[in-house]
Amino acid sequence: MSKIMPPTAKRNNMRKPLRYLVFLLLVAVLAYNSVYFKKLDEVKAGSASFNAVKYASDFWNTKLIPTLNKAVEINSLLSLLKTDKEKAFKDHSHALGIGNIRYFLIKGSGVVTDVAENQVSVQIEGVAPDINIATEYIFGNAVRDASGAIDINAFSNSMDFNNVSAEINKIIREKVVPPFKSNVKKGDHVDFTGAIELNREHLQTNNLEVIPVNLKITNP
Amino acid sequence: MMINRIHFLLLCCLLSGLGLIGCKTKQSEDGPKKIAIVVSTLNNPWFVFLAQKAEAKAKALGYESKIFDSQNNTALETDHFENAIASGYNAILFNPTDADGSIVNVKNAKAAGIPVFCMDREVNSNDAATSQILSDSYSGCVAIGKYFVETLNKKGKYVEILGMVGDNNTWNRSKGFHSVVDFYPGLKMVAQQSADFDRNKAMEVLESILQAHPDIDGVFCGNDAMAMGAYQALVAAGKADKVKVFGFDGAEDVVKSIQDGKIVATGMQFPEVMAQTAATFADEYFKGKRDFPQKMPVAVEMVRKDNVENYAAYGEKE
Repeated sequence: MSKIMPPTAKRNNMRKPLRYLVFLLLVAVLAYNSVYFKKLDEVKAGSASFNAVKYASDFWNTKLIPTLNKAVEINSLLSLLKTDKEKAFKDHSHALGIGNIRYFLIKGSGVVTDVAENQVSVQIEGVAPDINIATEYIFGNAVRDASGAIDINAFSNSMDFNNVSAEINKIIREKVVPPFKSNVKKGDHVDFTGAIELNREHLQTNNLEVIPVNLKITNP
Repeated sequence: MMINRIHFLLLCCLLSGLGLIGCKTKQSEDGPKKIAIVVSTLNNPWFVFLAQKAEAKAKALGYESKIFDSQNNTALETDHFENAIASGYNAILFNPTDADGSIVNVKNAKAAGIPVFCMDREVNSNDAATSQILSDSYSGCVAIGKYFVETLNKKGKYVEILGMVGDNNTWNRSKGFHSVVDFYPGLKMVAQQSADFDRNKAMEVLESILQAHPDIDGVFCGNDAMAMGAYQALVAAGKADKVKVFGFDGAEDVVKSIQDGKIVATGMQFPEVMAQTAATFADEYFKGKRDFPQKMPVAVEMVRKDNVENYAAYGEKE
């Protein structure tokens, strides 16, 4: 005996596959737009709108270079560190936050005692041992922070702030070091300005490394 | 009929929600203020230490405090924030799970008039948290990167094990490390994978990588838990003496492992400094101060065998 279905039920039965199809389509669209894959190194590593290259270039020209005359003489800094460490750190160091690591903008002159793969050693009158001017490992925040002329609050995330360091170091690596490294030799007289890092709690001045900002061979 | 039931259920949910809001505890004028400490995970001893130090400092300053564990889950973190807001907490010391995903929680607290002080991890917003007290991970990893290059003599194959990809610290550390290492073409990264800051995951990740690359010379890990996991994998593969492992955090077992020559170096963070600064800022906020630095970086110091005697777990030797 055949079963007679009412017209509305017939219509509903006909619409069912269509409903399922629409539902599946909706799920597929949602799934497609919800899941995506990308390489780890493509993950955003800083805000897209921030131009670290331009910022570093402006900082170098308008903030850092004009403040180089405020750099402390390395001889007087080292003397002060021996007699009054707290005053030396208070008067001459900069750091943007809390902690033992502080940066100093320093200057000095001396005679080159060694030109090695990673650094140039300079003997400064009245200072022992020699100071090392870095020519290979130009990294870190020493130059960015030592002048005290940069404000971390101007950046929306710390990645942008760190990118500025990388770009400043690039300027040093490309413009400051090569003309110096290609000409310097043992016995040369040099003037230098740059940044050093010191640990206030565990102070070590025996192996000072200067990240250079300005280097000049001044042979008489 | 069904529609009526749904309406009835929705009405119940709405009323109970309103009831919860109505139950919001009013802070007694005489009672101590309350500080919530919301931490990304308590499955890692480093964060347990951070939370405990924040709690201890809050109590020392005369406040009630409670620790909430987000279990690395932004949804759970949102629940904690809603709970803290509804329960009348006056400040939140916060270790976010996600630099972007956690912003909304901080903004909700701010809208409710509750200051939020981020500890160790940041949110990608300059107008949400009252202040963010963060490890300078980038600089710490620059120092590690330089030591890595020196230790490996500028050549060799290495693996990088990343932390959680949504956390800025992961990328600050990785970028700091690569800002040095990538200058040396002799150093080839054969694999870069995330292990979510987790020891067991790092062990599994490195075990798997070692199948394809048995001849690696170094492993850089985004935290110490992963460095210990990587070291375990190397021990199991009989390569612990040949492969140099570098970590980041300054965890107890890694400081000891540096002394024993098992791990080469780590970046010492100072969670106690961050926790105490956050609690002190909250105290100052209650007393009327409003001009806090939006970001307060805390210096990271590299620990290696020749200076490890200066350090204990999570900081300086007392």
